[in-house]
Amino acid sequence: MAFFKKKEHINPLMAMFVGVTILIVGLIFAKTYAASYFLSGAYVLLIGFGYYKSCIRILPAFIILSAIFFLAFYYGKNSLIAGVTMVNRLGAIFVGLIPGMNIEPICMTRSLNQLKVPRAITLGMLITISFMPLLREEIARIREAMKTRGAGNILNPKVFYRAFIIPFVIRLVNISDTLALSIETRGFSIESNNATTYKKETINVVDVTLLLLVIVGVVLLAVFK
Amino acid sequence: MQNEQDDITQLLENSKGNYQEETKAESTQLQPRIQIFKKFAIKDIVFLAIMAACMLVTGGIMPLVVHVPVFGIIQLALALQFSIFPTIGLMKVRKVGSVFFMSLCCGIFFAFMYLPMFVCIMICAVVTELINIIIFRGYEKDIAVAVSGAIYFPFTLPLLYVYYNFLYTFNGQEGEAVNAFIGANAGAAIGISAAVIAISVLGAFVGYIVSKELIRVGVMKK
Repeated sequence: MAFFKKKEHINPLMAMFVGVTILIVGLIFAKTYAASYFLSGAYVLLIGFGYYKSCIRILPAFIILSAIFFLAFYYGKNSLIAGVTMVNRLGAIFVGLIPGMNIEPICMTRSLNQLKVPRAITLGMLITISFMPLLREEIARIREAMKTRGAGNILNPKVFYRAFIIPFVIRLVNISDTLALSIETRGFSIESNNATTYKKETINVVDVTLLLLVIVGVVLLAVFK
Repeated sequence: MQNEQDDITQLLENSKGNYQEETKAESTQLQPRIQIFKKFAIKDIVFLAIMAACMLVTGGIMPLVVHVPVFGIIQLALALQFSIFPTIGLMKVRKVGSVFFMSLCCGIFFAFMYLPMFVCIMICAVVTELINIIIFRGYEKDIAVAVSGAIYFPFTLPLLYVYYNFLYTFNGQEGEAVNAFIGANAGAAIGISAAVIAISVLGAFVGYIVSKELIRVGVMKK
């Protein structure tokens, strides 16, 4: 049975739902100490469900930022709960981000296709998320080229405009044209209703267990807040 | 002789009048109907999605500033990039729905960072599109693009005020958020709001200039 079959990753829509639930609930109950326990529990839960790499990745940024906000609000308002509230809010954002960080763009697109979301939107989302690492590379390349040419300080508005913004946008336009051409030459159509999904994203016992455990956490938080 | 000249003059005037009427009728017939809604092609979607990716990457600073209790700090951090890139996108894809599409593509990922901002951005995109349709009936004119690029992001300010006023909680008492974010220093809130509007206008101007330059040299085609 597909429901009990082992999968490599959590269903993307389920992961999104879990992430948004943690974020919303964390923000709503941020002013309580119980929210700290809920967020800690969610963090441990996500480690257990295979998100350990993302959990470790966000930890340094969270520790630094939460320390800054905690100290600022603890001493600024002379109240422990004010500091804890800020840490909870940041925690809700960071823990809520973890499931989203692990979603493969293609898996997300497949899930949305299964839900009959218009192909224009799924294509747009796929490009947006896939393009982000490429964008960082392009920025690094342009900055490197600026150094090679001795263009000057990037903080100078004239240099920034002429040596950074213009080459950057030119590059974006070229990439866009090439990408559009390659999509069209492969016969991709945004109006086709008969398109099928290559691999179907299914919901299995692991997804349901994760969701149930998060819901149990939310209920406990609401009861013991 | 005089009669002949009068006849010729009369004939010329008549023919001139007829010609003017005919040309007027022809021009009325040939006048293209303004089509507000146009279908998106794949190249449009790709370009708008890339612009959305730029907005998303540069907007990555948002989670770090969302809880700083200064009204408009999010908009201040994002105004420049959220006016430059939509303006560039609109300069190339002059179709109604472009702003909404860009907002959707980047906003859905913003939902993970700060859900209210996603809602604000989507509402602002709809409002911007509606204003554009009512005033300019599309993005064919450059002024329509520049105005839409400039007004798009500052619209989040009143929406965020509503959020702080009714939804946000601050140490357990609704309404205190307004005191924390606005009331404690109303002058700063007004100043930051003015700065956000100024930066958005500047960003739209920069986006317009960049696009114009690329269109002039033939890199960017409408």
